[in-house]
Amino acid sequence: MRRFPVSTIAAVAVVAFSAPASAADVRVGSVAGVTGPIAELVAPIIAGRNLAAKHVNDQGGLLDGDTMAMILADSACDPKTGVDAGNKVVNVEQVVAVVGASCSGATNGMVQSVTIPAGVANVSDSATAPSITDLEDNDLVFRVAPSDAYQGAALARLVHDSGVRRVAVSYANDDYNAGLAEVFARGFTALGGVVTGNQAHAPDKASYRSELSTLAGSGGEGLALFAYYGSSGITILRNSLENDLFDRFWAADGMFDASVIEQIGADNLRGRIMISQSASDDEDVSYRAWAGRYETETGNDPKAPYAAHGYDAAFLVALAIEKAGAADRSKISAALHEVSRAPGEVIRPGEWAKAKGLIAEGKDINYEGASGNVDFDANGDVGGIYSINTVGDDGEWTGELIR
Amino acid sequence: MEQLYGIFLYLVSLAIMGGIYAILALGLNLQWGFTGLFNVGIAGFFAIGAYTSALLTTAPSVRHLGGLDMPYVAGFCAAMTVTGVIAWAVGKVCLRLRSDYLAIATIGIGEIFRLILKNETWATNGPRGVSMVPRPFEHLPEPYNQLLFLALVIGAVAVLYALLETARKSPWGRVMTAIRENEPAARAAGKDVERFRMEAFVIGCMFMGLAGAFTAQYLKFIDPNATELTTTTFLVWVMLIVGGSANNKGAILGAFLIWAVWSASEIVTGRLPDELAIRTAYVRIFLIGLALQIFLQKHPHGILPEKRPKPPPANS
Repeated sequence: MRRFPVSTIAAVAVVAFSAPASAADVRVGSVAGVTGPIAELVAPIIAGRNLAAKHVNDQGGLLDGDTMAMILADSACDPKTGVDAGNKVVNVEQVVAVVGASCSGATNGMVQSVTIPAGVANVSDSATAPSITDLEDNDLVFRVAPSDAYQGAALARLVHDSGVRRVAVSYANDDYNAGLAEVFARGFTALGGVVTGNQAHAPDKASYRSELSTLAGSGGEGLALFAYYGSSGITILRNSLENDLFDRFWAADGMFDASVIEQIGADNLRGRIMISQSASDDEDVSYRAWAGRYETETGNDPKAPYAAHGYDAAFLVALAIEKAGAADRSKISAALHEVSRAPGEVIRPGEWAKAKGLIAEGKDINYEGASGNVDFDANGDVGGIYSINTVGDDGEWTGELIR
Repeated sequence: MEQLYGIFLYLVSLAIMGGIYAILALGLNLQWGFTGLFNVGIAGFFAIGAYTSALLTTAPSVRHLGGLDMPYVAGFCAAMTVTGVIAWAVGKVCLRLRSDYLAIATIGIGEIFRLILKNETWATNGPRGVSMVPRPFEHLPEPYNQLLFLALVIGAVAVLYALLETARKSPWGRVMTAIRENEPAARAAGKDVERFRMEAFVIGCMFMGLAGAFTAQYLKFIDPNATELTTTTFLVWVMLIVGGSANNKGAILGAFLIWAVWSASEIVTGRLPDELAIRTAYVRIFLIGLALQIFLQKHPHGILPEKRPKPPPANS
C-alpha cells in the first residue's frame, strides 16, 4: 500500500519531464472533443486552428521568431475529461492561452474549474450555450461562436424593423427553442414592441388549433414561432393558415428546411414567412481569403461547421500574444479585446506578416475573421452573422445576410 | 519553478479525480466484490447524486429547478439520501434477479435515470447542464483551494475505507461473502439473503451518489455528457478488476492507477504531430480495454487479491 502513491507520482513525473518543450516554443492549448459524440465534426475545426498556427509560423512566427505550438488535448465532450485536459495544458504544458473545448458542457466545466482560477484566457470556437455568457470569468472567457441568445435578439430587431409592433409567440418546450423565445420576447419588448401572447406548446401533437385560437385572440399581427419543423412547426403553420388565425410568421434555425415549403406549398408561404439562420458570409472578403487557403492547405471543406471559427480563435490568440509583447498569461485578455475590434487597420485571415509589422510599429489592428467580424463585447461574446430566408419565386428558400 | 509548480497542481487534480473514482470503486466493491451483485448502472446513481447536490447547492437560476444555495454538507447528505432511496426502490424491483440478468436490469435502469435527467429540461436544464456549482474552499488562493478540496475527497475515501474494512471483518461482511460464494448455503444458515443483498446495493449506490456530488463540485458544472457510460461505468469496472475485486485497498489502488494512466498518457500523445495526436486519443480507450483483457485473462484476482478475514474462534 505504501509504495503505490509514490510510484504513481514518480511515473507521472517521469512522463511529464521526459518531453521538455524546446525553448523557442510559445505554447497554446488546443482542447477539442477528439473522441466522443462530435468526433467527426472536430477534425476540420482542429485543422482550422492548426492552419492559423502554420500561417503564423510561416510568416515570421510570434514575438522574436518563436514558434507557435498548438498542444492538443482531448475533451471528449465530457466535462470530466475536459477539466482533465484543461489541467494538462494549463499546468503541465504551461500554455499562454487555451482554444477550446468544443462542446458547451466541456467548455463550461473546463473554464470554471481550470482556466479562470489559473488566470488563463480561453477562446472557444464552438460553444454556443447562453449560460457561458453569465459566468463570473474575470474577462477570461471569449468565444468566436455566437451564443444562441443572439439569434433571438437579431430576429426581434428584424421583426421590429419590418414595422410590426404586436406579435404572438409560440415555442416548443425544449431548452433551445424556449431559450430563443425568451430572448426574442425580451428583445422585442425592449425595442418598444408588444408581445400579445407567449405560450409554450408540447411537440408532436396532431393539432394546435386551440393554442393558436387563444394566441390569435390576443391580437398579434403575426406569430413568432420557435419550434423544430418536424415535431410541431409544420403543423402549426398548417393550422394557422387553414383556420385563418395567422398569416405572417417569423422563425429560427429549427424551421429552416425544404420540407416546410414542400408540405405547406410555396404559394401559401411566399411573403408570409421569414426564417433566421446562422450562416457564414460567402461573399465576405475575409471568408473568401480564408476558404481558398483552408481548402488547398488542409484538404477539408471550408463549409465544415465551425472550421472558420477554429481558425479565428487560434489566429486571435496569436495576435493577442504579439500585441501583449510577451507570452504572458495575464496580458492576453486585454490584448484580445484590442486586436479584435475597431479602431485599427483591418487584418484578414492569413495576413500575419502584415499584422506583425503593424503591431511592431505600435499601430492598432482590427482582425476581421473568416467567421465574421469577431468584435468581442464586454462578455467576450461575438454577434455572429445570420441569414434571413424567405420563399423565392422558384419555390425554394432564398437567403439574405444580416449582421 | 513555474513548470514544477504546474506539475504539482496537475498531480493534485489527478489525485482529486483518482479519489472520486476510488469512492465509486469502493461502492462497486461492496456490491460486486463482496456480495456478488453485478451492477452496471453506476452512471445512473452517479448522475442522481451529482444532480441532487448541484441543484441544491447552486444559487437561484432561471435555467433549472432548485438553486437553494444550501451548504455543501446538505448537498452531500441529500445526494446520498436521494441515491439511497432510489436505489432501494430499484433494488425492490431488480434484486430478485441474479448475475447477468441483474446486470441487464441495472444497465437499463441506469440509462433511464440518465435520460430522465437529460430530458426533463424544466428541472435540470437538459443537455445544457447545471452551471456554477459551488465548490468547497474555492475562494481560497491557489494552491490551498485545490489542496483542501483534495483533503476533503481523500478524507471521504479514508472514512469509507475504514467503514468498509470494519464491515468486511464483521459478521455482516462474512454473510456478504457467503452470499457471493454460495447463496443457498447462506439461506440454509438462516440468513435473510434478500435483506443483505438490499443493504449492499443501497449502501454501494449511496457511495456512487457521493462520488457524483464531489464530481459536480469539482467540475463546477454537471451535464448529461459527464455521466457517459465509458468513464462512469466501464472505467470503474476496469479499476476494480485491475486493482483487485473484493479487496478495498485494491479498489482504491485500481482507481488511482487507472485514472493516472488514462489522464497522463495524453501528456505524451499530445506532443505527437497533429494527425497522430488525433488518432492516439483513441489509444487511451484501447489501452484501458487491453488492461482489462490482460488482467481478466492472466490475473483475474487483480493486483491485490482478496484476503479473507480470519474466521472467529470456534467457541465464540
